[in-house]
Amino acid sequence: MRRAFNIVAAVIALTSGAAVLQLKLTVQAKQDELNVLARQIHDDRDALRVLEAEWAYLTSPASLQERSVRFLALMPPSADQIITDPRIIPFRPKGEFAEADPGVMLERKRLPKRPAGDGQPHGEETSGLDVISDTVAGGGR
Amino acid sequence: MNAAAFAMDPTRSGYVPSKRRGDEQPVRSQLDMARGRLFAVMILFLLGFMVMIGRTVELGMRENARPRSFAGQIEVPPVKVGRADIRDRNGEIMATNLRTSSLFADATQIRDASAASHDLVKILPQLSLADVESKLASGKKFVWLHRKLTPRQKWQVNALGNPAFRFEEEEERVYPHGRLASHIMGYVDVDGRGLGGVEHFFEDRLSDPDRHKDALKLSIDMRVQYALADELETARRVHSAIGAAGLVFDVTTGEVVALVSLPDYDPNDIRGVSADQLFNRVTQGVYELGSTFKTFTFASALDQGIVSLDDGYDATKPLVVGRFRIRDDHPKSRYLTVPEIFAFSSNIGTAQMALDVGTDGQRDFLEKLGMLRPSTVELTEVGAPMYPAPQQWKKISTMTISYGHGIAVSPLQLAVGTAAIVNGGRLIPATLVADSDGYQNATRVISEKTSHTMNMLLRMVVKKGTAGRADAVGYRVGGKTGTAEKPANGRYNRKALISSFMGVFPMDDPRYVVFALLDEPKGTKETYGFASGGWTAAPVVRNVVLRTAPLLGVAPEGEDEGLYQQVAMKINDKKGH
Repeated sequence: MRRAFNIVAAVIALTSGAAVLQLKLTVQAKQDELNVLARQIHDDRDALRVLEAEWAYLTSPASLQERSVRFLALMPPSADQIITDPRIIPFRPKGEFAEADPGVMLERKRLPKRPAGDGQPHGEETSGLDVISDTVAGGGR
Repeated sequence: MNAAAFAMDPTRSGYVPSKRRGDEQPVRSQLDMARGRLFAVMILFLLGFMVMIGRTVELGMRENARPRSFAGQIEVPPVKVGRADIRDRNGEIMATNLRTSSLFADATQIRDASAASHDLVKILPQLSLADVESKLASGKKFVWLHRKLTPRQKWQVNALGNPAFRFEEEEERVYPHGRLASHIMGYVDVDGRGLGGVEHFFEDRLSDPDRHKDALKLSIDMRVQYALADELETARRVHSAIGAAGLVFDVTTGEVVALVSLPDYDPNDIRGVSADQLFNRVTQGVYELGSTFKTFTFASALDQGIVSLDDGYDATKPLVVGRFRIRDDHPKSRYLTVPEIFAFSSNIGTAQMALDVGTDGQRDFLEKLGMLRPSTVELTEVGAPMYPAPQQWKKISTMTISYGHGIAVSPLQLAVGTAAIVNGGRLIPATLVADSDGYQNATRVISEKTSHTMNMLLRMVVKKGTAGRADAVGYRVGGKTGTAEKPANGRYNRKALISSFMGVFPMDDPRYVVFALLDEPKGTKETYGFASGGWTAAPVVRNVVLRTAPLLGVAPEGEDEGLYQQVAMKINDKKGH
């Protein structure tokens, strides 16, 4: 009986030792993984600094203005385009409809002149640039 | 039993004491005891292993348990930088430290110098082929080829696969916005020490290793900064001015929102930059700023009750004091009311008013406004104002200083003083740091009532006076023009002007002072040859206000005409004399 006990004890000791070793190796692997991740986070943070600087460079007001002038039909807003009270947004004048806004400055024929007093005081000024936002601006006023 | 017999055999086991005693019984009981102990130890070990197994199994079965967070235990190596970042008030990066690589070569490992230099020059076109080739053929162990490569260039050089090309990691101070805000930022030397601007002023704080992580936050708004720089640059070009300066100043907090001095420089590369480019015209330059100073003369006279809006002075003909002659740029040649003197910028009227205030009163007031001491802004480049010594501050000085001649101050001082006049009478020192609490120790310089009156007068200058071109529709701009002649060889040069405009908006509740100055502008066809402040600097302020008011949160509004009626009635702006 003692012998059996000895064998059982030895087997248990061996298996549990092996299991713990296995556990230890797994934990070590996880730890390595963790270190790699930490290293990666560090590298990413480092790269983030470069990207942030690049973002600041690419979105500096000067380059944004240059791109806006080149690709967009946007003009600085005038005081009468800004309303402080949302309850006083004027209705679109009758007979006006919004075309799809291509969003960029395109070569286009001059829009037909609108009848006077259609709620678009700057129609002539904007159409002088042939901007597509003509109708958008008309709707906003 | 075999094993036991084996153990009991004294000759084999070498169990010496039992043999000596020759006694069987004690040996046996001792052996039993030893075995019993061994067994107990084994049981203990077994128990230990059981516990270990139990615990291992338990840990293995706990997969569904809530995963514990290891956030605090993970040690991420910190990103080390040699210098803290500088950001604007919106968190936009103004200056940052980046790692760059510098390229050097081990010329002993070069086999074909000409081929290698051809490859390299293709990647770095700024290098000269002959120069690189001679370096690579020199046979030296270490030759610098190019400093501070971009990551892309580094990758390309690595892709050449030439073992002779090597890199040394360096840290570089980068200003992504380049020239924009150069005079605020300053610059650093090769070792990263600040040599100008806030880089120099905050050197200790920026290079403090404990504070590398938190960026220095400035009060500057890069969008406003750009709008001001863009408009000033345009005006400088149009009027062929030798220089320009401008700033946007928050009158309630003392924060400098934008500060531009032209010509400027690129802090990323300060080689070959001239002293003129480095010169900060806003804080370092002191100028006789001309009529913008009348604001202070009027404020002191009104505050001390020496004149009221109902008074007036005779401005029919130039004043002659000794060998000096005080004349008006916009002569009306008649009796002028106080609002008219301000709106039409009459030197004759203002000089007489200053005499009523008196020399001491004038000096005390300017002292109180901080005109007689250098600004306390966080820059090293701060110019000291120039003014007559007390014994030389005579009657004629009092008269000329009343309209901004005979005293030279920096534009920043003027802006701070003007802000105190319009914000209800509290003098708030200027600051370049965001969220500073300097405005809490403001000192009162004039009463709120006087401040209110001054606001009406300033608005009238734009509505009816010399600064009509500053009127940004909807934003209720007020201000005062200034046109000063530059002193040269002991006398004033009528052709070389300092034209400026000190604008304030919105006038019914002043929030910002916008100042623009052009150094020696020339008149153009559009300005009918005029180069005065109202023609050259005022439009700059109008454009800046139009572009930046939406950014600064000032909404355009219709104006309450009744507010200015009291003053407007006293100004007769009909043409003809």
